[in-house]
Amino acid sequence: METFINVTFATLRVSAPLILVAMAGVLSQQVGLINIALEGLMLVGAFTAVVAAFSLGSTWSGVLVACLVATLLAAFFALFVIQLRANLIVAGLAVNFLALGATAYLLQVLFNTRGAFAPEELVGLAPVSIPLLNRIPVLGEMLSGHRPLVYLSWLSVAATSVFLYQTVIGTHIRAVGEHVEAAETAGIPVKRVQYLALLLGGFLSGLAGAHLSVGDLTLFRENMTNGRGFIALAAVFFGAARPGLTALACLLFGLFEAVQVRLQTTSNVPPQLPQMLPYLIVIAVLTLISLRRELRKGW
Amino acid sequence: MNIDWKRWGLETAQVILTIVVALLMGAVVMQLSGKDALEAYRTLFTSALGKRTAVADTLLAATPLIFTGLATAVAFRAGIFNVGVEGSLYMGAFAAAWVGFTFTGLPGWILIPLAFILAGIVGGIWCLVPGYLKACLRVDEIVTTIMLNYVAILFTSYLVNGPFLVPGLANAMSEKIAPAAQLARLAPPSQLNLSLVIALAAVVVIGFIFRRTTLGYELRTVGANPLFARWSGMPLRNVILKVMFLSGLLGGLAGAGQVLGVHYRFVANFSPGFGFDGITIALLGRNSPIGTLFAALLFGVLRSGGSTMELFTDVPRDLISILEATIIFFVAIEFSLAWLRRRQALPGEEREAEATP
Repeated sequence: METFINVTFATLRVSAPLILVAMAGVLSQQVGLINIALEGLMLVGAFTAVVAAFSLGSTWSGVLVACLVATLLAAFFALFVIQLRANLIVAGLAVNFLALGATAYLLQVLFNTRGAFAPEELVGLAPVSIPLLNRIPVLGEMLSGHRPLVYLSWLSVAATSVFLYQTVIGTHIRAVGEHVEAAETAGIPVKRVQYLALLLGGFLSGLAGAHLSVGDLTLFRENMTNGRGFIALAAVFFGAARPGLTALACLLFGLFEAVQVRLQTTSNVPPQLPQMLPYLIVIAVLTLISLRRELRKGW
Repeated sequence: MNIDWKRWGLETAQVILTIVVALLMGAVVMQLSGKDALEAYRTLFTSALGKRTAVADTLLAATPLIFTGLATAVAFRAGIFNVGVEGSLYMGAFAAAWVGFTFTGLPGWILIPLAFILAGIVGGIWCLVPGYLKACLRVDEIVTTIMLNYVAILFTSYLVNGPFLVPGLANAMSEKIAPAAQLARLAPPSQLNLSLVIALAAVVVIGFIFRRTTLGYELRTVGANPLFARWSGMPLRNVILKVMFLSGLLGGLAGAGQVLGVHYRFVANFSPGFGFDGITIALLGRNSPIGTLFAALLFGVLRSGGSTMELFTDVPRDLISILEATIIFFVAIEFSLAWLRRRQALPGEEREAEATP
């Protein structure tokens, strides 16, 4: 039972950045743009959060600046893709390369470090203990006591859902995603809507990255996102860009990451094998999605 | 041979423009971070091209990039976004190392080809997995190939830390390969070796495949217009499988070249991103074998000069990655601009049959 609680807690904790960046992916997908740049945006968010928090002396300021910088980068990406009509995938790859190179470059230039930066003075965001919830025996231990950004990630799922399905702009986004010409004929400012989706996505990705680097520990390591942006993309495919289902997929992937960490410490299995699990699961999930789609089509 | 000189000239001009803009961008970045851009570039280029040993080191740096650039170009040309060359590189590298330290009794002229062949096959099979998923189940290849990169790096790391662990050695390295398997050095004291020759041969072979074989024709048509390809009866599934295998094969050869020519053993995490550089190189080289060769040489200069630049001018070599990103951004725009221009210039039917050489 203890293990079950711990694993669930770990899953919720580990899924949070995935959920946040997956919501960004949902918004992009709904507007019809596959966002390959999520990984890079998240990495930039992670880096900026640590640097800004360190320079400004406050972790929350770091988070805010991270979101703003990621949004800026997303704007840059949007400019290339929407205005200059660059190839979506190639531009996305470019953003990822830029993020990797720029963060490593700045790490060296600003702090004279390679590899990792963990300023001692920096404190992570304090865990939040929800008043009534934390007294419930099993549920309380699993749900209470998380870092603030974990709760924010759950909020983001609800917010994205409401935004997409209950607001006018959300409907516009979905319309553009379904049929651009029809949306245009109906008078929807397609480009503006696409920009909005990408910018919001940038903000969320920055938040996700910030959680990764300052939400728990305060550490930036080169390439610390390690493929999470793409795992989130797989979650978006799994959930057919619906916030709830996508978040569920994120929890699934988060579970495997939590299990993998546990396996490393509790068993004699060499570390690399469990580490492969999340990536293999993504492939399995994508295969299952396509299988289901092909089978439904019949022969 | 029909060469559209005007278009060739235009494309080359575009490529040069892209590189110049990228260098300018890099200069801006350096100046903004308080570094002397002129000094940095001067160090970079002189250390990469100045002396004979420098040129040798540049060619050394370019060798794996020729392979990975070709690997990526082959897939991109067919319209397949294979981002998994890095994974094939690792798997192929380990396969080559395994041959090298297992069959120590065999003479070099058997051992070396055997290692390369096995590396190619293993690398090819590694890319066949996402290839099969794409061909038969239409699974998007971008995410699957990226995932398999991580799997390959972790798996090979596991192999040298587990089953093939050598007690007493510093961690994460396999045994040394037999002396017979080690590739000859071309220009000591540089580590430049015979794998360069193999890489150049690969350029020729791929060029031949592109221009003179059925596969090459199918590949180009599928990439330029999948609809047309299907209607003219091309077996799309088989083409995808063959292309992915070829792509992975070249990636595996890249890994083999590094193991047999430079390190003489498999070292975990040895690649500083050769596979990913391959993407930039393929894009810059417009997915053509010759273009890829030149782009790879350019990156050899940048990577080789970049490390020296870092030593002498305290400009981090990650600047090169920033240059790469700029190049990809510009290629991304150029692709669509050129495509748009061509589509607007040609009347309806001819647009469909238009294929890039």
